[in-house]
Amino acid sequence: MNTENSDRGEGKERDVIVDTISRLMVPFIQLFALYVIIHGAGGPGGGFQGGVIFGSSFVLLVIAFGIVNAGDRFPEAINTAFFSFGVYIYTGVGLLCIILSLGVAQYLNYGFLPLPVHFEERRALGMDLVEIGIGITVMAVITEIFFNLAWKREESEEERRGKKEQE
Amino acid sequence: MKLISLSALLFVIVLGALFIYVAEDIPDFGDPYSAPNRYIKLFSMDANGLEDNLNQGVIPKSLADKIAERGLPLPTRVESVEEGEWDFFLVPEEKQQDFYPKEQKYYFIKKEGANLVVFRYAPIIRYIEEGHEETEVPNMVTYILADYRGYDTLGETTVIFTAGVSVLLLLRRRGKRPEGRKL
Repeated sequence: MNTENSDRGEGKERDVIVDTISRLMVPFIQLFALYVIIHGAGGPGGGFQGGVIFGSSFVLLVIAFGIVNAGDRFPEAINTAFFSFGVYIYTGVGLLCIILSLGVAQYLNYGFLPLPVHFEERRALGMDLVEIGIGITVMAVITEIFFNLAWKREESEEERRGKKEQE
Repeated sequence: MKLISLSALLFVIVLGALFIYVAEDIPDFGDPYSAPNRYIKLFSMDANGLEDNLNQGVIPKSLADKIAERGLPLPTRVESVEEGEWDFFLVPEEKQQDFYPKEQKYYFIKKEGANLVVFRYAPIIRYIEEGHEETEVPNMVTYILADYRGYDTLGETTVIFTAGVSVLLLLRRRGKRPEGRKL
């Protein structure tokens, strides 16, 4: 067996079991990640943990199919927008609190959010909003780091292959 | 060279001895009821006759004066916890703006020998004891992380964001990427 080509996305005989199982697992991992984020207020979990689990579902795809095949499935421009979108949600909630606390400048005091419940429960819901923001940022960053490292490796391998062909 | 290594050895020995000496006073790891995690000592004063006042629910004048002398907020109510221990309550200034309209445990008085020692409760006590009531979230980790320490978590998220942006700038491939097969 040619070990040189074993990591290449194309031209390699793929194991049908690995393919099928990882494709089946991905939606369940993502559902679990959403559960961890939303359930953060009631039990163990939260934005950071849920975001990492969500990102790991994409990591699984890359491990199973190779970066050349899996990279297509994940548009990089949208991922880059997601980075800042999470932070925007967080700071936006804080800014909304400043505006709606009318002159007393309560940044990140979720009790002032315009929700039709009483003060304490607004704080709980505000926390959920913030956790969703954290989750989006962490998911996007984990995926971005892994995808970029995988592309870098693919690139250097391609260069090596090109040199060999020239010789 | 020799002097430097000798002094370094001496420094390490002295530091080690200091650690062993200090380790005696370190509270048990993670113990929420150890003194340093609960309150800070402010001052101590003579207990003559004040104890009866405290037991009757009256704040003695001399004690209140001593608190005011230090520029600290004055207590409004006293409650006995155990034999020789009292809690002082007060409504923080926040009430005037209606942020948090509730009175809080603020000072802790303890009788030690012939003296009354006045402590100030650490803020963490409020988070632990009142957090569920104040935020309607049962998970202590979540409400401290996302609400009381919201600024801190915002900073953490920004750190992760910065890590992502740096990876994007350093590792991003500029050429065209090969097209993969359909999954």
